[in-house]
Amino acid sequence: MKRVNFFYSTKLTFDDYVHNHSFALRIIPPETDTQHILSCNLNIAPHTPTQQTVDAFGNNVTAGYIRDDHRFLDFEIKGSAQVDSTKHRTDYMPCYLYQSQYTKPGCELKTFYENIKLKCTGTVSEKAEYICNMISETIEYKKGFTDTTTTAEQAFVLKKGVCQDFSHILISLLRMDGISARYIAGLAFCDGETHSWVEYWTGERWEGIDPANNCPVNDDYIVISQGRDFRDCAIDRGVMFGKYTKQLQLVRSELN
Amino acid sequence: MGIISLEHSDRLYWLGRYTERFFTTIKALGRQFDKMIGTSHGYTDYLDCFGLPDIYTDNRSFFRSMLFDKNNANSANYSLERAYDNGIVLREEISTDSLSFLQMAMDTIAKAEQEHNGNVRLALLPLEDIIYSFWGSINEHIYDDEIRNIIYIGKTVERLDMYIRMKYPFERVEKEFIRLLKNLNRVPKGTPYRYNTKYLSDLVEILGTQEDYRRDSEKAVDSLGHLFDTEEVFV
Amino acid sequence: MIGVINMTQQVQFTKAVGNASEINELLRRYGVKFGIYKNGVFKEQFFPFDPIPRVITAEDFGSMEKGLAQRVNALNEFLYDIYHEKKIVRDGIIPEDFIYISKGYLAECEGVTPKNKVYSHISGIDLVQAKNGEWYILEDNLRIPSGASYPLIARDLTRIAAPQAFEENSVVDNRGYAELLKETMENVNCGGARAILTPGRYNAAYFEHSYLAELTGSVLVQNDELFVEDNILYHHTYSGGKSRIGVLYRRIADEYLDPLTFLPESLIGIPNLMEAYRSGNVGIINAPGNGVADDKGIYYFVPKMIKYYLDEEPILKNAPTYLPFYEEDMKYVMANLDKLVIKDVAEAGGYGVVFGNDLTKEKLEDFRKTIIAEPRRFIAQEVIDFLDLPIVEGDKTVMRKADLRAFVLSGAETKVWASGLTRFSRNPDSFVVNSSQGGGFKDTWVLSR
Repeated sequence: MKRVNFFYSTKLTFDDYVHNHSFALRIIPPETDTQHILSCNLNIAPHTPTQQTVDAFGNNVTAGYIRDDHRFLDFEIKGSAQVDSTKHRTDYMPCYLYQSQYTKPGCELKTFYENIKLKCTGTVSEKAEYICNMISETIEYKKGFTDTTTTAEQAFVLKKGVCQDFSHILISLLRMDGISARYIAGLAFCDGETHSWVEYWTGERWEGIDPANNCPVNDDYIVISQGRDFRDCAIDRGVMFGKYTKQLQLVRSELN
Repeated sequence: MGIISLEHSDRLYWLGRYTERFFTTIKALGRQFDKMIGTSHGYTDYLDCFGLPDIYTDNRSFFRSMLFDKNNANSANYSLERAYDNGIVLREEISTDSLSFLQMAMDTIAKAEQEHNGNVRLALLPLEDIIYSFWGSINEHIYDDEIRNIIYIGKTVERLDMYIRMKYPFERVEKEFIRLLKNLNRVPKGTPYRYNTKYLSDLVEILGTQEDYRRDSEKAVDSLGHLFDTEEVFV
Repeated sequence: MIGVINMTQQVQFTKAVGNASEINELLRRYGVKFGIYKNGVFKEQFFPFDPIPRVITAEDFGSMEKGLAQRVNALNEFLYDIYHEKKIVRDGIIPEDFIYISKGYLAECEGVTPKNKVYSHISGIDLVQAKNGEWYILEDNLRIPSGASYPLIARDLTRIAAPQAFEENSVVDNRGYAELLKETMENVNCGGARAILTPGRYNAAYFEHSYLAELTGSVLVQNDELFVEDNILYHHTYSGGKSRIGVLYRRIADEYLDPLTFLPESLIGIPNLMEAYRSGNVGIINAPGNGVADDKGIYYFVPKMIKYYLDEEPILKNAPTYLPFYEEDMKYVMANLDKLVIKDVAEAGGYGVVFGNDLTKEKLEDFRKTIIAEPRRFIAQEVIDFLDLPIVEGDKTVMRKADLRAFVLSGAETKVWASGLTRFSRNPDSFVVNSSQGGGFKDTWVLSR
């Protein structure tokens, strides 16, 4: 058990005024069996009224609408939590067994799975660790080659990627092996941005594993959201009107 | 119903304008046809009103193009199509009945176009009845005065524009202008069909006397075109 | 034979409605059209109407009505179950795979309960009548079934053109559809105006959207006139204000409904609509996620659903269907492949349908291998010998294939509209009755005695 302070901020800047801007943020960490949120403040600028709901995957959704002209949208959370990774979550959904948009395997991933399948034996945890090792040996952690739209198959072909890609590849392989797995977006000590890792279902509970670092998840991880893949966990989604051509996003996060 | 979106209010305005443009064009072409009997290229004064070049081989090609050619933005058929385009998205405001008159008008004009050797003017005659029925239907079916007023504003603006361009006598124009002022007076504050006061005062000045009207008719057309210019631009 | 209208009666109906040309003239005048894209250009076409009605006897309709309501009630129960406890899967009635590989299943809708638990407010159930008079269900359409407006306006106009037909025959008036639809919308209204959301005038069913808006006194809207603020759906009014929408009859597909929940690239959706819906601030007709229940693979299980949820025997039959997923069915399919029609579960709109007897021996063997490799992907059905219906062609009457789309509306009660859209193929050899394929439509008369 560990008490951690977390901080996360995003600054979106547009190069011209925008208006009628709808947004949905998945940014407030959920209260779960493994993390007790002691405090959490969300600040949004320009100031705008927001509404909170919980989506199908158990994520806190903050929805808002800014009608008038504005050139930026900033939001940040600050808070503290009690994390206990010896405990486990049990919020299962059958859809986690099935491939989703980002994890649907193509030829390369399928062939890779065929090659490692025979050695992938033992308990669910042993299998997950084995697959994770195999990914570590095959994929290089490297920024700048993939983006938020890259699928598991595409990243696998490149043999390079960041935490999001590692997670998608691991989820895809686990699901091929008949193990339910889900994507986790959150904060971890190792990163200056957001981090992502994977939870797999043992048959009774979720276990966390961090494929980008090839290690189990411990008290240094705070879950912000979960889902079938990145699409269910995007921290901010928005639709706006205006003549803007570019948006600049600055992200900063801290965990201590 | 009482609630209507900005998009629909705009459509109503243009439905009014195009329906009127169609109607005035048909009537003007009828008179022009009469004038052209026994002449060659007897239509140039008509083209002059709209600043259009003479690209026609004869009276017949002028007449057919101005009536039927959907690619000619000054033709009756073009205006009718635009009226229909605006009307089709307003069914629940103006009613299926009102819309059916535009469809009948399109069918009638399509049939007239086929009458190569017959009497085109005769084939066009029912159009007048149809358009009068359309306006009767609009009057019946739009219950909300505010919404009805928008389409009449469009209609009157267009009529004034056409009359001024075609150099109608001052008395006729003045009458229509007073009609427009009455319509404008009914517009509540803060709605898009609130006129731009600068252009309205220009119009009041130009259409005040016969002399000013004769001298400044071009400026009148211009001011009319800007009457609903708003500062705000919607995306 | 119960339910089959004999030739003498048919001649009588044909005579009663008289000449097609007057009614088609009226339909033209009232702009009964549908839009199609030909070579990338949008065109509006008049939907050819055949004046000879399909006639359903009072007795036949009585049992059909019960059967359809039963089916739709079970499907609504199923949808609630799938997005909540999933008892039907746990109890082994439907294998899990069939639910979660279905494109219509939307995980985003898990746990969302629509007002009054109604998922399929407007269901379009496609049926065919076999030569022996028996009706078979071909397909359930629980997403955005279209077509009710055509028989509705056709009836109105036929009564103008041929009033004697309704003096000689006692036909149930079908023009209560608008009132029925309004009731159905009001039943899930969460406070505010009724609105019909259309993708715009270049949509194939635009006539229907606007006509139904007019008849039900709903606002016809496009997405850019709407916005969600404080998880409430509003309509921008022309004076710069906003007015609340309490129920949205949307005529766009689930995936496009909310770019912040579903396809981010959707330009016809309303951002955060799902948040307003989840919060119970707006009713959406039909509920998002219904696609899981009208999937071809799920169709097979509907009779089982009726037994499971309602503890009743299904009144209406499915066309005899086999799932190669089950060993026994696979054996039958393999033995009779040349006689069956095989449908790819993942395809829609007439695609992925193969008639075994159309295939060459080689192709048939290839196809056999595909089925063995991917048994879950296919369903197989017996080919039903349709009852042909007469249509007017010039001054002759010819017989053509036709189906029936019945409309079932689930408000406070489940009601079956005493009419329906009968679509026919103009091509004598074709089973395809789609309007985009040049097919036409008929009114459907339900006799009151």
